[in-house]
Amino acid sequence: MADKPSDLVQGTLDMLILKTLALESMHGYGIAVRLEQMSKGVFRLNAGSLFVAFQRLQRDGLIRSEWKATENSRRAKYYALTDHGRKRLNRETREWGRQVTAIARILETS
Amino acid sequence: MSLLRNIASGLRSLFRKEDVEGQLDEELRGFLDMAAEEKMKRGMSRKDALRAVRLERGNLEVTKEEVRSARWESLVETCWQDLRFGLRMLLKHPGFTALTVITLALGIGANTAVFTVVNGVLLRPMPFPQADRLFLVSLTPRGGPFEWQPGVSDRDYLAFRDQNQLFANVASFTTGTKANLTGAGDPVQIPVAYVTAEFFATLRTNAEIGRTFLTGEGEPGNDNFVVISKVLWRGRFGSDSEVLGKTIRLDGVSRTVIGVMPPGFEFPGVMVWMPLTIRIDQHNSFTRPVVGRLKTDFSPQQAQAELETFAERLPLVPGESKRDRMPQIIPLKDLLVANIRPSLLVFAGAVAFVLLIACANVANLFLARGTSRKQEMAVRRTLGANRRRLVRQLLTESTLVSLAGGATGILLAFWSVPVLTALAPAGKVPRMEMIRIDGWVLAFTFCLSVFTGILFGLAPAFQATRSGARESLDQTGRRITVSHEGIRGALTISEIAVALTLLTGAGLMLKSFLRLRAVNPGFSPHSVMTMTVDLPDSSYRTALQMQTFHTQTLAEISRLPGVLRAGAVDWVPLGGELAKGTFQVEGGQRPRGFMVDKPCISPGYFRAMGIQLVRGREFTERDNATAPGVVVVSQSVARTLWPGKDPLGKRISMEDEPKPEDWLTVVGVVDDVKQQGLAKNSDAAIYQPYLQVSSPFFLSHMTFVVRTALPPETVGAEMNGILRNVDKNQPIAIASMDSLVAATTAESRFQTRLLTTFALIALALTIVGTYGVLAYSVAQRTQEIGVRMALGARSADVLQMLLKKALVLISAGIVLGGAGAFTVTRVLTGFLFEVKPSDLPTLAAVALILALATLVACYVPARRAMRVDPIVALRYEE
Repeated sequence: MADKPSDLVQGTLDMLILKTLALESMHGYGIAVRLEQMSKGVFRLNAGSLFVAFQRLQRDGLIRSEWKATENSRRAKYYALTDHGRKRLNRETREWGRQVTAIARILETS
Repeated sequence: MSLLRNIASGLRSLFRKEDVEGQLDEELRGFLDMAAEEKMKRGMSRKDALRAVRLERGNLEVTKEEVRSARWESLVETCWQDLRFGLRMLLKHPGFTALTVITLALGIGANTAVFTVVNGVLLRPMPFPQADRLFLVSLTPRGGPFEWQPGVSDRDYLAFRDQNQLFANVASFTTGTKANLTGAGDPVQIPVAYVTAEFFATLRTNAEIGRTFLTGEGEPGNDNFVVISKVLWRGRFGSDSEVLGKTIRLDGVSRTVIGVMPPGFEFPGVMVWMPLTIRIDQHNSFTRPVVGRLKTDFSPQQAQAELETFAERLPLVPGESKRDRMPQIIPLKDLLVANIRPSLLVFAGAVAFVLLIACANVANLFLARGTSRKQEMAVRRTLGANRRRLVRQLLTESTLVSLAGGATGILLAFWSVPVLTALAPAGKVPRMEMIRIDGWVLAFTFCLSVFTGILFGLAPAFQATRSGARESLDQTGRRITVSHEGIRGALTISEIAVALTLLTGAGLMLKSFLRLRAVNPGFSPHSVMTMTVDLPDSSYRTALQMQTFHTQTLAEISRLPGVLRAGAVDWVPLGGELAKGTFQVEGGQRPRGFMVDKPCISPGYFRAMGIQLVRGREFTERDNATAPGVVVVSQSVARTLWPGKDPLGKRISMEDEPKPEDWLTVVGVVDDVKQQGLAKNSDAAIYQPYLQVSSPFFLSHMTFVVRTALPPETVGAEMNGILRNVDKNQPIAIASMDSLVAATTAESRFQTRLLTTFALIALALTIVGTYGVLAYSVAQRTQEIGVRMALGARSADVLQMLLKKALVLISAGIVLGGAGAFTVTRVLTGFLFEVKPSDLPTLAAVALILALATLVACYVPARRAMRVDPIVALRYEE
């Protein structure tokens, strides 16, 4: 029962954020809400871990940011995937799939 | 790529802090507002919504801190903050800072100075390319009648040179040889070496001007060549670029200069190299050091194994046993530094102790200050600083102090290293020219300072940040000190223990030195002047020529004003040389292994030197070449050969197979004399009159000895003048007997002085330290003392109470230190003369000194406590 992001496997949060941004650019709160919706409330992220992850991803050049107005005409920082980030997401998704299959196979045989 | 971006981004947030912080603030606020709006849409009040968001998502400031501390540059930032804050704290308390910096400067400075010497003498490589591949090959066993030197006999050297597979080159050379350099300026005696042609190739050093020796140079008739050192080239040839082909005279023989070595090349400590060809001599067997350059593919262990196999296969010469050979592969540097290494290591250990004491002192000071900063720490923790952060802050402060101490220590070292090298006994410390404060020394001091800062800072830092916030905020900070007493007591005890160990070491050295000084050398050295001449066999070919020179010189010296007695001896006591040998006893057997000194002396020598005649008579002018042969023996010879009998009239011979005329009659018995040094055993000696000796070996080297009524130095100058008249090509070698005695104790004096200095620094630090601890404890207990006195305690009771506490610490330290001293001073065994390392009187004496000194230090604050006014003390509480 991972209800805190610190319980997420290291690096998993990064992957999930990248996945969220794959469709469109989004501001921090939007990302948090989207992650919670998609996980049906399993992940509830506090601001600290989320923004530390943004900072890390941005420094690694996987996402970029710009200030834009929201639909409620408030200023917010929007994050978007870079090409580099997209490639990383594809690679990690493949790798994740491989691992999950492998683990599932092990669990089934025993 | 990503690393670059990371660094760039980090630098941006470092240098455009407001911008980056502002953006983070705005973004986070937006995030939290949006979350709150969402909740308000569902009907929450604004207040409730904000509260719920804080609980769910986190507080704005804490989150900001979390994001900030995830950046690498935040580490730089906090370090920088710590530094600035630490510096401010230290500058705010200049007295405290100065005291701690000076204490550490003493400790670190002493360590830097000793390390500078250790680094120069022991650690820095020898000035040859790939010097770590150079090894001495040795087959000589330790513990013979002469001082041990690694070496290989000529015969074995030739065999080894031909068979060896592991060394690229091997070369043989001489050490300790001196020669008289004459012509162009005053005659001087300079160190020279005879070396085989491979010598320079083995050391991979070429001549800077000209060339070195070729194979075949060194054969008789083809050996008049020399290579000279840069120093000699400058001093004697005025840096003449046309020096090649010029000649210099060494021991009266002209030799052609063929090369000048580069600066710094003086191995094995000489100014001139002469060619040597090794040949097997039927009569004499020379043993010389051998150096080899190990091929890169082989290890010293392999070389050792090969040498052992080689030694195993060597045929034994008659009278030799396998035990007479000890195969050893030794690093080349050991030839120069093996003797000095143990004493340098002892010094290094002693200064490390001094530093430990300094650390204990400073740790105590920091502990005391930590108490007053307890509230500061508690407040910071309440406001969210974690303990690691606070410990880091405090360690930054202690490291700042120790770095300042280290910097001051380096200044101290700049001043004390020259003092140290000037005090060192002349000629006893090799590689002096390598001693200097270089990058390695600075690096050593830096690392030592940082280590020291952490060492003494750790306990105070943990102590200051330990107790819970509530407790510290409640208390005024005064009463919490009780928990510190434990650590402070332990520090004081260990300080006293370490100081006692050092003091014991110094005390032992001092006692040993005094014993050495009190040794009766068997002669009376005061008011005795000596002048030594080496007659070159180029101009003095026969024994008769030499004897004529001696007789003439002696006669002229006797006529000098102020001369009471004059005499001559070939190997003067404590002169650093001796000739030992065997002999035959008429109608008896010489005990196995019993060898004697064989001095040749003139009539009058015993009186001039003050050697006591025990029985019989001295030599006279009539004991000449035509008279029957006579000898005077020393007491131990008489005791050993003819126990309980009258030695006078007994006969011995110096020949292995004496003919009738070779027998010499004993006519007198004299006291034994310390020939080799005050710490050595007296040598048994058989004296012969120089006029009855025919071998030039015993005559070419002669020391004239005069007992004077005037100061010896004035007579020395006159003696020198006489020598100039008789032979102007003789270098000056004048020394008073007192100075020769002093030279043999110089090493011991130096060691004693140095250890005593370190021990005194340790004692001073310990006194200051104990004073500090007790003064602090008195200050902390002022109210308690006030209460006691208000309730009727007399000042004597208070004094007793405080001194009792001090006594407990001191006696614990002394018991611990005594045990430590017993273990540690064992390393001094080799340096002590007639004193055991476990000498109880010494230990008792230094323990008493230490106890008294620290008690006096405690008495000062204790007296202050006695004068506490109860009214003032009680008011102080509010």
